[in-house]
Amino acid sequence: MRFLVVDDSSTMRRIIINTLNRLGYTDCQEAGNGREGLDAMAANPVDVVITDWNMPEMNGLEFARAVRANDATKTVPILMVSTNAAESDIVAALKAGVSNYVVKPFTPTTIKDKIEAVMRA
Amino acid sequence: MSATPSLLSTLRSATEEVFDTMLALPLQLAPPVPGHLDVAAHVAAAVAFAGHRRGLVVVHSSFAAARQITSRMLGIPLHEVAGEMPDAMGEIANMVAGTFRNRLAAVEPASDVSVPMITVGTDFSIVYPAPVFRARCPFDMQGEPLSVELILTGNEVGSLQQAAGASAMHACGSEGDTPDRAGVRC
Repeated sequence: MRFLVVDDSSTMRRIIINTLNRLGYTDCQEAGNGREGLDAMAANPVDVVITDWNMPEMNGLEFARAVRANDATKTVPILMVSTNAAESDIVAALKAGVSNYVVKPFTPTTIKDKIEAVMRA
Repeated sequence: MSATPSLLSTLRSATEEVFDTMLALPLQLAPPVPGHLDVAAHVAAAVAFAGHRRGLVVVHSSFAAARQITSRMLGIPLHEVAGEMPDAMGEIANMVAGTFRNRLAAVEPASDVSVPMITVGTDFSIVYPAPVFRARCPFDMQGEPLSVELILTGNEVGSLQQAAGASAMHACGSEGDTPDRAGVRC
């Protein structure tokens, strides 16, 4: 399974990719914001996107809307990882096209469960 | 949730959750530190919040503790930790402040948090020019000292200073700062 991890924090990208590797997912690309994420998806199709919310240039909500607006990517599952935990935030993310949501801090089991959930949907 | 002990208890449990979940590093609550804060720290990672409450959450640690946190967080050997440390400490502060914010938001109007600000050095002071309330939760992280500080500003400072007496000291060190003694060496 091919993953794209989008986060402006290189530390958080590394944490998420380490987690994915531990779960057996080793095909991981990364991008520093939504704009770079769209470029990465255009260059190399992916099966699952994991994205942050707060990022410069193009944030996670804008990124999700752009992914959903593109015929080539509109069905790709998007998992959002953020410290924003308010119900209104989660609803806004889902409305933007996010498939599922993980609140930081997270365990590898949480990531695994959420990936399996978005792949089943 | 306006009582100081509840705020400090919330901050303490948020910190413990982040360290346990992300690092598998259990924290032990260290004895309270009364009076003026004067504890050596070489890394201070701060996240500001504004909204219903205004202030900062600051994670203070030694170099050794910060390197250990980075190593665990990124899954790299301790001796290979280098320039990643400030970002890793910023992410820890972001998660501690975010979890603290989220828990408070369950019982009161929400606040927004800022991006983290990280200071690394051997000789620095953190100074607040306005009246603030400061309280600190000291921890022991496998023998290394680490503390998480709550700094509040705004209308509630006076009442928090009053409430910060003996009851708050049961959980954490705490004190109120006035403008002429707002500088605290950490």
